[in-house]
Amino acid sequence: MIRIEDLSVAFGDTEVVKHVDLELSGGEILGVVGESGSGKSVTALTLMGLSADTARVTTGRILFDGVTLQEAGRPRDKALYRSYQGARMSMVFQEPMTSLNPTQRAGRQVEETLRLHTKMTAGERREKVLEAFRAVGLKEPEKVYASYPHQLSGGMRQRVMIAMAVILQPELIVADEPTTALDVTIQNQIIELLRQINQNQKNAMLFITHDLNLARRLCHRIAVMKDGRVVEQGPAEEIFRAPKEEYTRKLIEAVPSRMKKRKIDGNAMENTAGSPGTKRYSAQEPAESVSGDASPVLEVRDLCVYYQDGNMSFLSGAGKNREGEKLSLRERLSGTRKEWVVSGADFEIYPGESLGLVGESGCGKTSLSKAILGMNCHIRGEIRHHTIRPQMVFQDPYSSLNPTKTIGWLLQEPLRAAGALDRTKVMTKTDMEAAAYDMLRKVGLEESYFHRRPSQLSGGQRQRVSIGQALITSPGFLVADEPVSALDVTIQAQIMELLQRLQEELHLAYLFISHDINVVYQMCDRIMIMKEGRIIETGDTEEVFAHPREDYTKLLLGSS
Amino acid sequence: MEEKRSGAKWKKRVPHKREIPWKERIPWNKYFLAGLAMTGLAVVLGIVGLFWTPYSTTAMSAAETFNAPSLRHIFGTDNFGRDIFSRVMKGLGTTIGIGSLVVLFSGCAGILLGAFTGYFGGIVDEIVMRVTDAVNGFPSILLTLVIISLLGSGRQNVIISLGIVFVPSYVRIVRSEYLKLRDADYIRRARLLGVKNLRILFVHILPNIFSVFWVSVMIGFNNAILAESGMSYLGIGVQPPEASLGNMLSDAQGYLQAAPWYALCVGLSIVWVVLGFSLFGEGIRRGRAGE
Repeated sequence: MIRIEDLSVAFGDTEVVKHVDLELSGGEILGVVGESGSGKSVTALTLMGLSADTARVTTGRILFDGVTLQEAGRPRDKALYRSYQGARMSMVFQEPMTSLNPTQRAGRQVEETLRLHTKMTAGERREKVLEAFRAVGLKEPEKVYASYPHQLSGGMRQRVMIAMAVILQPELIVADEPTTALDVTIQNQIIELLRQINQNQKNAMLFITHDLNLARRLCHRIAVMKDGRVVEQGPAEEIFRAPKEEYTRKLIEAVPSRMKKRKIDGNAMENTAGSPGTKRYSAQEPAESVSGDASPVLEVRDLCVYYQDGNMSFLSGAGKNREGEKLSLRERLSGTRKEWVVSGADFEIYPGESLGLVGESGCGKTSLSKAILGMNCHIRGEIRHHTIRPQMVFQDPYSSLNPTKTIGWLLQEPLRAAGALDRTKVMTKTDMEAAAYDMLRKVGLEESYFHRRPSQLSGGQRQRVSIGQALITSPGFLVADEPVSALDVTIQAQIMELLQRLQEELHLAYLFISHDINVVYQMCDRIMIMKEGRIIETGDTEEVFAHPREDYTKLLLGSS
Repeated sequence: MEEKRSGAKWKKRVPHKREIPWKERIPWNKYFLAGLAMTGLAVVLGIVGLFWTPYSTTAMSAAETFNAPSLRHIFGTDNFGRDIFSRVMKGLGTTIGIGSLVVLFSGCAGILLGAFTGYFGGIVDEIVMRVTDAVNGFPSILLTLVIISLLGSGRQNVIISLGIVFVPSYVRIVRSEYLKLRDADYIRRARLLGVKNLRILFVHILPNIFSVFWVSVMIGFNNAILAESGMSYLGIGVQPPEASLGNMLSDAQGYLQAAPWYALCVGLSIVWVVLGFSLFGEGIRRGRAGE
């Protein structure tokens, strides 16, 4: 039904999509998989006629039911496209936060599609929208209809987006990373919804993602893209079972998955770890790391973290906080109350161990880590450190390095700071430079990066610098807050490997925070599951994965 | 743990040469070049004017009043027969000097106040912000008038009064940037490393607000020049016989009919400086943004 023949798209002189052939028939879900910059989004946008005006189709054409929508050497026919967009083809975008207009009610925005493409009356339109809302599983369609986007959760917004996309039963739906910005359990629901829609409406679906696991679960066929080319195409299971191309194999291997054996158990670590004398504490040998004489690097006892909520007048609030506790006079006078975000956290971390902390956004993971690092003083309970200043690796590699400094300067700054705090640690300039070069080598970057600035580095390289910056003072304990979730899969694998290698070399302890249960499975010896501020389950990784005790854990495990 | 931080273990390494030589650090765009040429000419004329001018700027000559521009007097002569070009040179020096000092004073004060209030917040922030609100509440010309009437006119007092009037705008800009950056990941990390507050303020954050601050410096410098001209024009600025572009313009308006070149030459000089500096600043800003 849809045929993309020999399509190339160029911005200026650079071709970003090169001779792509794709075919898609009704009732089929085609997954386009690739890393950022592989040209998958440009292909989709070109198909939809939404690509930027600077993008030119240089070769090939796009056919929709035998009609040529776009062709090389012919400018985009906007009028032709307009008759297709919305009615016969529609798109679901990645970011549910920004793809809805914040100043208009959700119902009105969905209704607009109907107003543009049908001759329904206002009443009919409203009915149809409500029906579509029900169809995408929105519980209170009337309420959602009258809500502004900021009043809806991320998952609900994405459902509204999907309702908007399917309301006219288009023959083609392009979904560009529709679940990437969502929590895992929500992600699961959205995937299910898309599958249902595909089955009921028998439309063709182009599902773009960087997540191979997701593509495997949803798609009938998969096309793998790299550097603007489709390197491999075929039925989903076949691609996973017997990938023909080297790149596909690499991509599949890079995906953290429970289907694979954990690296630490097998021999895979050996070739990266290098020195044979080192030994990693695996789940099979917990005795060595956890028990006995080893003293923990961090002890957390009955820790509660709260925020001061200042938006309360003296008289309101009935004198009680959310937990139902009576407010103290002081709280009432200052007009603030405590919002507990973490309660009763109780755990310890031993040297050389990685402890995973898993939970959905808003469950208090980050608040807990901040409290541990001393960045939040609204706490009750006890945190005992047995190492010097624990350091942190942040999630977003683009905001965690000071853009005006060179890499060398950034790597030396922790040493300077340590020297300023403690006279005995003052180092000479040459020593600090040497240490910085040394750290560059350790995190796998060339020496020439010393004088570069963060803007000249890729995301993965920045994350390496970030890790180096955290480790240069040899802290012994590191909090890693989603350190790989902003990265492409292959880069993700490299960074995880680096973290594991460094852990082994430097005998580090990690508190590894993530929403991605597969990443945690690969990285951690023990895991903690967190929900609504409480740690509901703790245990050895293998144990928790094999025999989850809590329903919520099962839900998390089942969703990926 | 294969190495300890003892220093002696490391072999000394020759650091790599900086990757960007100075020639490539200069933004060679057309804005920058045009601005550099225009500002450079004005500054050179101004500096030379401090020591030497073709004619004396105060010597009057009854025989040569209102001469039109000629090879002898390229900008012509004024009502006292003084060479306008010589006086423009002197005036440029005075005006650019005042503009720079005002920006220097108010910029420094703005960075200090804005950095501390934005980063630390709290009661000091509240007080400083309300004071700047109060200062902003007065029309700036009225405020300068008040200050001048308290201090008396003259070059230093013009600088002081304009400096005070300009501080709030810098405080606001710097403060909002610090407010934004104090929660950036890389600043959090610096705090985590135990970097001292002063160092975070001026080594970690300050370079990051450069482009925003630079824009306000550009605008501020031009405003200062125009304000000085305006004040001199009103007679509360630089006092005659000392030359500034403003008081010359004020003189010239009396002779628009008899000697139109007088107002034209002086006015165009002001435009020249302001335009040149705007282009110069824009060039630098674009160069930084393109990095």
